[in-house]
Amino acid sequence: MNLSLERIDLDAPLSGDFQAVVRLIIGGIAERVDFAFEEIDDLQLAVERLLAEAGQVGTVHLSFEVGQRGIRTRVGPLDERRVAVALSDGGGRPGQLTLKRILQTVVDSFGVDEPSDGGIVVRLEKLKGP
Amino acid sequence: MSLPARRSVAPERARVEDRLLLRRYHEGGDTSAREALIERHLPLVRSLARRYAGRGEALEDIEQVGAIGLIKAIDRFEIEREVSLATYATPNVVGEIKRHFRDKGWAIRVPRALQELNASMSGAIERLTGRLGRSPSIGEIADELKTTPEEVLEAMEVGSAYSTVSLSTGPSGDEELDPLETIGADDSGFERSEDRAALEPALDRLAPREREILRMRFEEGLPQTQIAHRVGLSQMHVSRLIRKSLGVMREELLG
Repeated sequence: MNLSLERIDLDAPLSGDFQAVVRLIIGGIAERVDFAFEEIDDLQLAVERLLAEAGQVGTVHLSFEVGQRGIRTRVGPLDERRVAVALSDGGGRPGQLTLKRILQTVVDSFGVDEPSDGGIVVRLEKLKGP
Repeated sequence: MSLPARRSVAPERARVEDRLLLRRYHEGGDTSAREALIERHLPLVRSLARRYAGRGEALEDIEQVGAIGLIKAIDRFEIEREVSLATYATPNVVGEIKRHFRDKGWAIRVPRALQELNASMSGAIERLTGRLGRSPSIGEIADELKTTPEEVLEAMEVGSAYSTVSLSTGPSGDEELDPLETIGADDSGFERSEDRAALEPALDRLAPREREILRMRFEEGLPQTQIAHRVGLSQMHVSRLIRKSLGVMREELLG
């Protein structure tokens, strides 16, 4: 997905108190791309579930690359083991509604980057609907 | 036998027809009679719900809570009572709505203007979705409500401050009858064993309607607009239920 026109970076506390702020910022960014209500809700849900797996302590870095066709969001670095388990269908009980399943539903694509300084960064790509 | 809508017949005749339906339900176990009673008294619920409009929640949400009170009244009604069902149901419906506002109200203090904007957004989104044939953008919602995109975003966010009541959960936390199931939404397939197995085990903590919404969203991959249409809720309500349900499931998985 080639959409890097503008970039916004944010360091946010993982404490639940700030999740509403993160959602509001995502809404504001997505509105600039003219995302539909439903698409904004999907992206907010994806980030919210990812942050839920990241714990409640410390801070998390989020970056948003904004283009005409959509938004690429990076979240991390996150604790590698915990998030890897959450993103793996095999990590849960059979048929469990996992983070992987949720992300597959609400974003167009997602992946994991491994920066040199440890942890993993989850990449979410959400395109604007037709 | 098909009985006319209650509001279109004389009060005495309506009472007689109600009693007939109540007997069929309570004495004969005829659930179609129960459904008919619900349908006949929904205008009463809507009328009572309108009194509580403008307090920061969408009218349709209040109506759905009121419908729980109606169903409780139908289920608890004793045939020997001399009182009419409408008279008996009214305090039940009002009580359910009041309890909803008291117990499940705004979790944080939200400016009234934003509460009202949040409440009006639900209807605006439904209107625009119908008109445009797709989910509207924030700008379109703002135009419809004659406000700014920033205020719409804020109003969306304050919706998250609101603790959505489960439509299938009573004040005690026990699972109770879901009015939407009773009214006739299509739940076919929900009870199929393979679906239940696929979504076990954390889904078990959720009410049937919420499990069904998650199944439609994450198994069928249906968008919120279609889910909302199927279950008869607003898109915003579906969104809130999905969020809340995933939170509940995660708590369950964490033990």
